[in-house]
This record gives sequence, structure tokens and C-alpha cells, in this order.
Amino acid sequence: MLFLTAVLISPVRIAEKSTIVYCLKLLCTNTSNKLKTLKMTDSSKKNKLNRRDFLNKGLRYTVGLGIGAIGVAAWTKLSSQEMVWQLDPSKCRQCGRCATSCVKTPSAVKCFHVYALCGYCDLCGGYFRPETKNLTTAAENQLCPTNAIKRKFIEDPFFEYDIDQDLCIGCAKCVAGCGAFGNGSLQLQVHHKLCDNCNQCSIARDCPSEAYSRVPAKSAYLFQGIEEKDYQKQKG
Amino acid sequence: MKQKIIIVSSVLLLLAALFFIGRDFFYEKNKNKENQYEYDLSNLKETDSSQICYREVSRILPESDNLYAIATDNKDRIYIAGNEKILVYESNGNLLETIELKEDASAIKISPDAKIYLAMNDHVEVLDSMGVLQDSWDSPNDKAIFTSIDASETDVFVADAGNKIVYHYNTQGELMNEIGRKDSLKGIPGFIIPSPFFDLAIGRDDELWVVNSGRHAFEAYDFTGSLISSWERTSMSIEGFSGCCNPTHMAILSNGSFVTSEKGLERVKIHLPSGDYDCLVAGPESFDEGTKGIDLAVDSKDRIILLDPYNGNVRIYEKL
Amino acid sequence: MSKKITFILIFVFFTISFVQASPVQRFPKPEFEYGHQQPPTIAPDARSQFMEYLDVFVLLVSLSLISWFILKKRSRWGALGMSVFSIVYFGFIKEGCVCSVGSVQNIALALFNPGYKIPITVIAFFVIPLLFTLFFGRTFCAGICPLGAIQDIIAFRPLKLKSWLQTVLGIIPYLYLGFALLYAATATDFIICRYDPFIGIYRFDAKFSMFVLGATFLLVGVFVARPYCRFFCPYGVLLNLVSRISWKHMTITPTTCIQCKLCENSCPFGAINEPTLDKKKEDRQIAVRRFIILSFILPLLILAGGWVGSQFHENLASVHPRVQLAEELMTFNESSELEPSLELTTYKSLGKSEEDLYVEAASIIREFHVGAWILGGFIGLVFGLSLAGLSINKHRIDYEPDRGSCLSCARCMDYCPMPEEEKPHRLLFAGFRKPVRFK
Repeated sequence: MLFLTAVLISPVRIAEKSTIVYCLKLLCTNTSNKLKTLKMTDSSKKNKLNRRDFLNKGLRYTVGLGIGAIGVAAWTKLSSQEMVWQLDPSKCRQCGRCATSCVKTPSAVKCFHVYALCGYCDLCGGYFRPETKNLTTAAENQLCPTNAIKRKFIEDPFFEYDIDQDLCIGCAKCVAGCGAFGNGSLQLQVHHKLCDNCNQCSIARDCPSEAYSRVPAKSAYLFQGIEEKDYQKQKG
Repeated sequence: MKQKIIIVSSVLLLLAALFFIGRDFFYEKNKNKENQYEYDLSNLKETDSSQICYREVSRILPESDNLYAIATDNKDRIYIAGNEKILVYESNGNLLETIELKEDASAIKISPDAKIYLAMNDHVEVLDSMGVLQDSWDSPNDKAIFTSIDASETDVFVADAGNKIVYHYNTQGELMNEIGRKDSLKGIPGFIIPSPFFDLAIGRDDELWVVNSGRHAFEAYDFTGSLISSWERTSMSIEGFSGCCNPTHMAILSNGSFVTSEKGLERVKIHLPSGDYDCLVAGPESFDEGTKGIDLAVDSKDRIILLDPYNGNVRIYEKL
Repeated sequence: MSKKITFILIFVFFTISFVQASPVQRFPKPEFEYGHQQPPTIAPDARSQFMEYLDVFVLLVSLSLISWFILKKRSRWGALGMSVFSIVYFGFIKEGCVCSVGSVQNIALALFNPGYKIPITVIAFFVIPLLFTLFFGRTFCAGICPLGAIQDIIAFRPLKLKSWLQTVLGIIPYLYLGFALLYAATATDFIICRYDPFIGIYRFDAKFSMFVLGATFLLVGVFVARPYCRFFCPYGVLLNLVSRISWKHMTITPTTCIQCKLCENSCPFGAINEPTLDKKKEDRQIAVRRFIILSFILPLLILAGGWVGSQFHENLASVHPRVQLAEELMTFNESSELEPSLELTTYKSLGKSEEDLYVEAASIIREFHVGAWILGGFIGLVFGLSLAGLSINKHRIDYEPDRGSCLSCARCMDYCPMPEEEKPHRLLFAGFRKPVRFK
């Protein structure tokens, strides 16, 4: 970095050789000069202004190039594509912080149902509380704290589970249940229509398993167990 | 004067803001130590010690990165399928021999006439008692995932979780029958297999027991494929089978009782031939969280041999 | 090097995809007899890159516009209009992100952290306002920065602060910048973004404490104009320094200053330098001696600051999550009565070795040791230069904006009685101007 700056600045240095000398001279005589100017005639005042202008100009070029150099140095670390935050479900430990750490309420992290992996079970670990006796849709049987999972009978013995993402708070309770008893078809992901893509994701900061990273926006989802072609992208 | 008060209080407010930022950044660490949304299975994972009817007597630590399946023969030797090999142990846990394989075997069974039957994901291999390959049978269907195999002296049954069907072969490898296809006229409900665990075993009276895990059910078929009997127990508590698809494995004791293993709530239990829960072999505390696919075998003395694929050990249990 | 990284990435990718290919994940779905169609998993797209470029374009256009308004048109109304636009677009529509103030951290992270890739828009948001400031002064602050704009329109009763108070509080942004750079460069946290007081307002959503922080700044902002800009903003530090040598800068008077004192109290930010009144000569010897003392004190302050800073490097590092985890692990081993944190239980459940964690934490602490020396030295330098600034009297004849702290808001222009070179269309707007004096 420093080297780059030096290289970029050196032509200016050569071009304005005297600037540095001037700088030093001016620094040394700075205070006394000021007093002098009080008594200065018009011409000397003009002279002084010229000198200051010249110094400013030199500094301006240097600073301009410095800003350019920082820009260029940052440019070498340019990401070739736009990046967004996403979490890797295979690293997720369902700690519940996705629900609490997001700057948005409710969180921009939502549960997604990867239907292709679902077993369509009657006794769904992601839908029912562990202690449930009767497998009914009664609220006290539901694991989800906001009742965001909808259970629908398909045919004996299959049930389909849909997630109402407006209600989902991203707490991962169902993800834990599905992972423990089922195939892991319920997965947490950052919902990109809702995510503000903060400079530093506040959930990433709090995530204990370091599951968050910046991923290319073109493949912004990290569903486990299905290929990118298997899910349907929805235009923003 | 009024201005002065406003300025002083404004500056104080700014300093307070600075103080808040500094304190929040440096001292408020790990604010929420606990998971507010814990998926709490602790009640269900607690084991009532009075329920336990078996105790662990010894443990084998096979030298293999992964362990897949376990079986015993009529001399009570223990066969363990690991990475491209089978490890054969004496009943006291001494390693007898190692049989090299070309692939991993997902299930293993030693027939009464001492042939080694291996289910290899999508085909069956038959080895003689010395471990020499005798025969290999391909799967009749695509997308096969063979998960279990059992053999008598005349018949071989293979469970295919991919096609959710049981194949009935003779010992020459000819496909005799497909068992368990949904047929409402015959009262066969069809297998529901949401995860790749699908076990079967031949019972005492030459009936074939198949685990219909999606229904938490055991179904008995005769060798022609007719459903003779079935029972199911769905419950998160210890009386039944939990989750989407349990039990994952089973074995049959000499009195006709079933030894079952579950995932989700990792436990190994005994169910009576009627299906009613009898007692507990090993509770969730005996396994690591997330252990799936505890394979089971029973020897002639009704010892239970279980394979913990997560920690890579084999444990031998005896009745209390 | 990059080839190697690509190779490793490809390798990792294939390993991961291989692991994923285990039968558990690829299991066939149930066969529905009555023709139920399995719905697809729907994944909403992220904002398109075009929109990001649009933001850069809007930034460029609005900066050009406001510079033209202030320097050429000398229009406070123009600046105000741009403020409103900025509050609406960069504030409420863009929800305050990405902003130039925070971009400082991305630049620091990109320069010091090999793993981080910086988006082009962030570089643009960092560089463009700096370059505009280098040419035209802090026109960015005047009405393009959404954080500044919201404070600017709320400054109803600005009171004048004593200059010593302004100088003392003015040191805070330097410290803030130093800390922000340290924590960004060590990939610990983005504190500027984390404690951005207005983002919660722009998003209508924040934790209660952050709302209170935002409300505090706005409340204070009614009486002390733009408190965040003047006494907190770390990006303002850079703009302040750059603005001092800008090519052009707004002037109070369109022609020449007649020292009428009318503009004296017009600046709510105390950024108008008055003519120096004391004409008494300063002894040359005293000046030289002061210069010598200063040139001794400055390096001494830098060294002292660096040393003091380095004494605190472990405290500074203890904010890093890895260091925190290592600390907890160490104490946890000794007394098992403590409830382990989620971090610790998770780390253990991942089956990583404790040794690795300690090694990682140690290397982070070493980074902080260097960082703390630099931060401390920087703070020392800032204190030293502030002292020097106090002791040096600049000679001035006219009323001029202080190029560093002037936010180019154009309020003062309306107070100058000097006529501009008349342009007919300006007369149209003359009726709108009602200069109001405040105390």
C-alpha cells in the first residue's frame, strides 16, 4: 500500500521539487512570517499569498493523488460481483440469534421450506412441540412461536407444510426440530427482499458458529441438499 | 442564563451519548447468553433409570473411519461393515480377520449356512464364509438405495429405500417377488420412507418383519407377500416412535420381542411381540446428539450388539 | 497467489458439494397418488447491481448540483432542497446504507484484510465526496450526506458554543476515526455503522437504545447545530483536512468583505473566522522558542500516546469475538460452575481444538498490540496538533469561513450586504430571502 502511494506520489514530488523545501522553510519561518505580514506592503502581501497558493496547490495535488492511491489500492481488492450476506445452513446451530440480532424487526432471516427434501410426515418435528400428544393443528401443539407454519393434508399419510414468511421471525426452532427428527428441509436463509444488506451484518457479528459470509448476489442462497436450478428465483 | 443551561445540558447529553457508545461497545458482551428460542428436548431425553433392563458389558473400537452395519453369525461372531472392509470379531471382542471389499457395504447379514450377504447401496454381493466373492446381483430398479438385507437358507430379502419396496430373491439371485407395494385390495398400505432408513428381519416363524418407518409401524409379511400382521406406535414419549420416520433399525430377540433404535431421540428400546413397549436398552444420554442410524444385531444368547456410527464404536449389552 | 486461492476455493467447493451429496439430502420425494404437485422453493432475488450503480450516479449528480448551487448560485435554498432530497433518497429510500461515513471502514478492512472483497460502489462512496471536497469544499456535508441533512433541517435554535468547548469536543471525531479504523482493520466490527444514530430513524426500526441515541442527537441538534457532524463524524475528519486545501471554497461575500460584522453570528456551526483584532507584535524570539518546544513536544506526545495505547491493547482486543471466546474458555476450564455461553457451547460442538482457538486469539492480540501503538500515537498527534493550533494565531483581515470546519451550508451568504454582480434572473428570487438574525 505504502509502496503504491509512494510510486504514485513520486512524479508529483519531482514535478514540485521545491514544494518540500518550501514546506520546511515555511514551517521554520511560519510564525515570524505572520508578524511580518502585518507590516507588509501590498506587493509583499501578494507575494505571500502566491507562496501560500503554491503550497496549497502542491498539497492539493498530493492529497488528490493520495485519495486516488487509496482508491486504487482498494480497487485491487475489488469484488468482481455484488456481494450480499447469507448464512450457511450446514454451519447453523439454531441458536436463536437470527431472530434477535437483526437490525430489522422481525428479522430479515426467514425459514425457507426446501420442499424437495421434505418427507411430508404426519408427525413433523418442525411443526409439533416435542411433548405433543394429539397431532392436531391446535395452537398449543405448534412449535412455531408465531404459528407461521401451515399444515395441509395432501393424502394419506402425507401432510404439506408451508411457511408464512410474514409471520416467521427466524428463530430456527422448527429448523432444529426438523433437523433432529426429519430430513432438514426447513432451513434458515437471509430473505434478500427484506435484507438491507448492511455494511456489517449485525447477526454475522453475533453468530456463534460463524455461519454468515458475503456471497455473490447472483447465487445468493445456500440451500442445503438441492441444486441452484432446483429452486425458483423470484425477481426483486 | 437560559442559553447557558441549554448549552451545558446539550453538551452533557452528547457526552452521555459518547459514554453510552463506549460502554455498549466495550462492556456489553454476550448479551443474550441463552437461546430464547431453544428447541427443548430435555424432558424427553431424560431417562428413567428404572426403565433400563440392559447394561453395557463391553465395547469394540473398530479401526475404520466410518461404520455402516453390523451382524452376527450362528457362532456369535460379530461382523462389522466399515470403509471398504468387513471386520470380524469373536464374541469376546477379539479381532479375527478383515475382509477387504471394493465398496462400502450399507447392510450385512450372515445366513444360517454361513454365507455373507452384503447390500452395497445398489446391488447385492454374496461372499462365502472365507470372504471370497461368490455372486453379485444388480438392483431391478433405478434409484435403488439398499438399506437392509436378511437371508434364510432359501430366501434373501433386500429393503430398497429408494423405491420403497422389498425384493425377495432366491439364493441364486433370481428375483422372486416384490413385497409391500401399496395395494388397498390386499390391505397393504405401502411403505412410507422419508429418510434413508428402512430395515427388515426374518422372524421366528419364517415371517418377514419390515419397518414402515413413516408410519412408525412394523408389518409382517409371509414369503408370498401377503400382509399377515402389523402394529404401530406413534409417540414422542418412550412408549412409541418419534419424529418423521422411526425406528431406523431393528432386530428380533429369541422370544419374538423387537429391539429398536431411533434417531432424533437417540434411544434403543425393547418392544414386546404385541408392539407394546417393554423396556429401555440405552437412552439418549448414551449417544451424542444427532446420532442417526444405530444398527442392531442379536446373538444366540440374546445379547444386543449395537453400532454407534457417530462415535465409531460397537457396544455389547446383556440383560440385567 | 490469486490462482492458488481460486484453486483452494474450487477444491473446497467440490469437497462441500461432495459432502452434500450424501444420501440423506438426495432422498427421493414421496410419490403422491392423486397428483399433488410439490411447490418450488422460492428464493427472492437481491437488489440488482444496476441499482447500486444508480446510487453512485445519483451521488455524482447531486454533489455536482449542490456544489453549483453553493459556489455558483450562492443559493441557500438550493442547498436546502438538496438536503431534503438526500433525506428522502439516501435516507428513507436507501435506508441510510451504503453511506460515505461508513465506507471508511470498508476501505480499512479491504486494505488490511486479505479475505475481504470490497464492492465498487463503496469505493465510489468513499472517494467521490473526498474529491468533491478537494475541489469545492465540504459541499457533501452541506446537504448530500443523509446524516448531516437530517440534522441540518432540525437546527432551529442554534446557540453559539465557546470556542474552547468547540475545540475540545472537536477532538472526539479524531478518536472515533482512530477507533473505527482499528476495529475495521482488525475485522472486529464496524462501529460507525453500529452506532449510527440516524439509521434507526431512516429505517423506522431499531433497538430502543438506538432510538434513544438518535433522538438525543436530534434533540441536542435543535440547540447545538449538527452535533454528530461536528463532534462525532469520523468521515468529517477527512473532509475537514481535505477541505483546508480545496481548490475553490464558498465565500461569505460575493465580492469583497467590508467588515460590516453582519455575518458574525450567522454561522450555526461557529465556523466563521473573525478578523484578528490584536495587532500587537509577537516577539520573534518567543515564537521561535515556542516552535522549538512544540517540535519537541509533538514526537513526545506521539510516543507517550503510543505507549499508553499499547498498555491497553488487551482491553482493546477483548472486544474481538475470538478473543472473548478464548478468554471464556480459559476461565471456564478453571471454574466449571459458570454457565457456558452460546459461543462456547457452539465452538465445542463444532469439534474444533482449543489449541487452535488460543493460537488464533494470540495472533489477534498481537495485531491489536501494533494497532494500539498506532492508535495511541495518532491520539497523541491529534492532541499535540490541537495544542499547537491553539497557540498559533492566524492573521486575518476579513470575515472568512474556516475552511476546515465550514460545512458549506450557505447560511451566511444571505447576511452579506455586498451586491453581487447583477444577473437579472436573480432578482426573481430576491423576495424569498429573509435573513433572520439569531443570538
